[in-house]
Amino acid sequence: MRNETIQLPEAAFIPVGLSLSGAENISRPSITFWADVRRRLLKNKVAMLGLWLILLMTLLAVLAPIVSPFSYSYQDLAIINQGPSAAHWFGTDSLGRDIWVRVWVGARVSLAVGIFGSVIPSLIGIIIGGVSGYFGGKIDMLIMRLIDIVMCIPGMIYVILIMLYVGSGPVAIVLAFALTGWMGTARSVRGLVLQLKEREFVLASRTLGASHLRLIFDHLVPNTLGIVVVSMTMGVPSAIFQEAYLSFIGLGIAPPIPSWGQLANAGVAVFRVFPSQLFIPAILISLTMLSFNLFGDGLRDALDPRLRM
Amino acid sequence: MAQRILEVNNLEYSFDTYAGQVQAVRRVTFHVNAGETLAIVGKSGCGKTVSVQAILKLLPEPPGRMVGGSIRYLGEEISQYNPKKMSRLRGKEMSIIFQDPMTSLNPTMRIGKQIIEGIRKHERISRREGRARAVEMLGKVGIPSPERNMNRYPHQFSGGMRQRVMIAMALACKPRILFADEPTTALDVTTQAQILELMHELKQELNASVVIITHDLSVVARVSQRIAVMYAGKIVETGDVRDIFYNPRHPYTWGLLQSVPHREGDRRQELTAIPGTPPDLFHPPAGCGFAFRCRYCMGACTQAEPPQTDLGNGHLVSCWLLDERAPKTETPQLAQRKGVREHG
Amino acid sequence: MGKYIVRRLVISVLTLWLLATASFFLLRVLPGNPFQTEKLLTVEMQQKMIHYYGLDQPMLTQYITYMGNLLHGDMGYSMKFTNRTVNSIITSGFPVSASLGLRSLAVALPIGLFLGILSARKRGKALDYLAVLISVIGVSIPSFIMGTFLQYIFAVQLKILPIAQWKGEAYAVLPTAALALALLASLTRVMRASMLEVTTQDYVKTARAKGLGEGRVVFFHQIRNALVPIVTMLGPMVASVLMGTFVIEKIFAIPGLGQHFVNSITGLDYTVTLGLTIFYGAFLVAANFLVDIAYGLVDPRIRIAK
Repeated sequence: MRNETIQLPEAAFIPVGLSLSGAENISRPSITFWADVRRRLLKNKVAMLGLWLILLMTLLAVLAPIVSPFSYSYQDLAIINQGPSAAHWFGTDSLGRDIWVRVWVGARVSLAVGIFGSVIPSLIGIIIGGVSGYFGGKIDMLIMRLIDIVMCIPGMIYVILIMLYVGSGPVAIVLAFALTGWMGTARSVRGLVLQLKEREFVLASRTLGASHLRLIFDHLVPNTLGIVVVSMTMGVPSAIFQEAYLSFIGLGIAPPIPSWGQLANAGVAVFRVFPSQLFIPAILISLTMLSFNLFGDGLRDALDPRLRM
Repeated sequence: MAQRILEVNNLEYSFDTYAGQVQAVRRVTFHVNAGETLAIVGKSGCGKTVSVQAILKLLPEPPGRMVGGSIRYLGEEISQYNPKKMSRLRGKEMSIIFQDPMTSLNPTMRIGKQIIEGIRKHERISRREGRARAVEMLGKVGIPSPERNMNRYPHQFSGGMRQRVMIAMALACKPRILFADEPTTALDVTTQAQILELMHELKQELNASVVIITHDLSVVARVSQRIAVMYAGKIVETGDVRDIFYNPRHPYTWGLLQSVPHREGDRRQELTAIPGTPPDLFHPPAGCGFAFRCRYCMGACTQAEPPQTDLGNGHLVSCWLLDERAPKTETPQLAQRKGVREHG
Repeated sequence: MGKYIVRRLVISVLTLWLLATASFFLLRVLPGNPFQTEKLLTVEMQQKMIHYYGLDQPMLTQYITYMGNLLHGDMGYSMKFTNRTVNSIITSGFPVSASLGLRSLAVALPIGLFLGILSARKRGKALDYLAVLISVIGVSIPSFIMGTFLQYIFAVQLKILPIAQWKGEAYAVLPTAALALALLASLTRVMRASMLEVTTQDYVKTARAKGLGEGRVVFFHQIRNALVPIVTMLGPMVASVLMGTFVIEKIFAIPGLGQHFVNSITGLDYTVTLGLTIFYGAFLVAANFLVDIAYGLVDPRIRIAK
């Protein structure tokens, strides 16, 4: 053994007694869960790219229409269907309207519908699912059966029916999403709450006499927060998709208010001749969905406790 | 004359992680004789599972990596075997059963088939013969109505039953060595005793060797002939079961023996726990791994790793206390002398 | 297994009933009547049509009549194409849509699963990154937008495939590709995740410990178990293919059921909308039911109680 070569003096054999000091050295600094999540997320270049793109889009959506000299509805029939130029960065459409402005006004609508159309159903779902899972009993069973029954059919069909009834427009769309989109979240939150309810730390807390409210806010919420945030983030591209889809089948947002889906649909009619009128909104839709997907994926990975260092 | 069928020398195994290299096994040396039971004892994380799974190459590489040492089976070096050669060894010459019977069986495959597929990999037999062998093995491990039950799925059995199925699977090809990684830890006490008894019987019948990994000394006392005590990736003391229980010489072994609560004895006696926490294997200490928790610690202990002292009869200890310059220390009062099975 | 099947059956019937009822009332409550857009009809004739379709009856009577007819498989006549029954529209359009849908599934399933498995096995290597990239992009581009991209590249620019319609094998390529890509992308993602999850399980270690060859371990122990979560995805997958056909058929001018559905919505042809909604609902419910049975077959823990 290597130690053979080390000559130890007699003094080395005097007992020094128990010294625990060295053992207490923790070589890795411990950091809190959320700090770790933030660190991992920031390190994820792909997810950060997604985030930057989202912020960029939002910025343009807010500023571009304000800065531009054109309004989204101003028609100039003398300059219809022009390609991109210095005056009109994205060109003009079949009624002579500036596409750049229309795209970014449309961005406001699409992004708003996307975000609200994801957050609102998620919130409804969290409340219903959380309450149902937490209190259990007959009501829980009833709600879950209802969800089972309704969810056999894709939500889009219900959305179509609702839109037929309510009419078009961004508020109508968000309403339709809110009415139909909460069920998936409710089911998963309920499942999560059921799992957490049985975990030891809840039992321990209850033994110590914690009230319902305390249990919910101190224990259940932090543990479900991650999942909920991810689900909301991933719900945005889904909502944007649905808005575009509705526009393509004629149920989306009615002109003259533009939305990306509506612009794309209008572009389909002329794309053989003027492809940019379709592809500009189409690419923006895809890019936005991609950004949210990438960021949401990164968020999910960052929150996964198994990957924790 | 004891015949050595497995010899592990200076095995070093590490894991490459984000935060650096974890040296899980740091120059471990032990051997297994034909027909005996060797117990590897130590607390969780000391490297016993890694050592054994490294022998069978069951650890994912990356991040695992065998850094050095040699593993010889029946005289032949197997540490550099390619996957194909390893697959011929596994199941046929050496088998392993794992700790958690609830997750160790494929949930979508009938248990009979899980046994048969192992046999048919190593032996050329017909399907009917395979079925017959599976039924026979299931009967041997105590599964009732084996012909019917072999068509059942794992989730239809209890934990104890599943562990028996695992044993049946592991012994179906009559291996020379059975590794048992904490086979009873996940089971209740009654079932524990049954499983250990079963393993003992089958081992006698097949004249196989068993390497049992455990942190539970009572298990050790019942079934093994030799014991290797592991701490922080190294073996600190090895010996015959009687030597270890009646004449242990390493302070960690003393700590282990002292911390076992005993049935007969002064109820008012405190439970002795070993103070402190195990060392960080990212930066293993230069000296003895146990130094900081040892009340007999000396200057030498933190400076250099102790050499191995041979006390005769295969009793090996790595501790500076055995150096002639060290003060004489009395083996402390230890309990639990009973329970050491007299083996033939 | 029997109890499980009966339960799923009851839920399926309830779903269908709920859908039919909800659609019925939603559509009937819409203001105006479908005939007022027909400039050829005078007011008296509109009243006659209204009376003929029973639209002047109290709502509940209408409902009961409709349900009664439904149970006989009678969904009435189209309000726009007054000489065609809804059923005939279904029988002419459904085979086309089904063909499109089946082709997409037939392409997406094997490729998606294979890529997912490959990607998991070669984790961290170039192939994995490529597969993940493709699948993330595929999931982010709506199928109808992908359809227009494909049309532009292959039909307009390269001119190697027809741009629209459904007159032969070549016509099916682009629409199938558009639908299949999105499916494929999500299949790859899920299969990859599932395989990675399974690979860390103890029973895979046990399989290796028995000395089984890598092929056997991967196929019977890893893939077999990784498929279980995929089966649960099949229901939503069929649904999304179905919904996808609506827009794809519109873009590619394919004479399938989706086109009729979309047109009936914009043209306010209520009987067709209602009839097709119920038909689609029934189809999806049946598909989900079959998937549930498949799930029971694939996972013995579901089909056999302890």
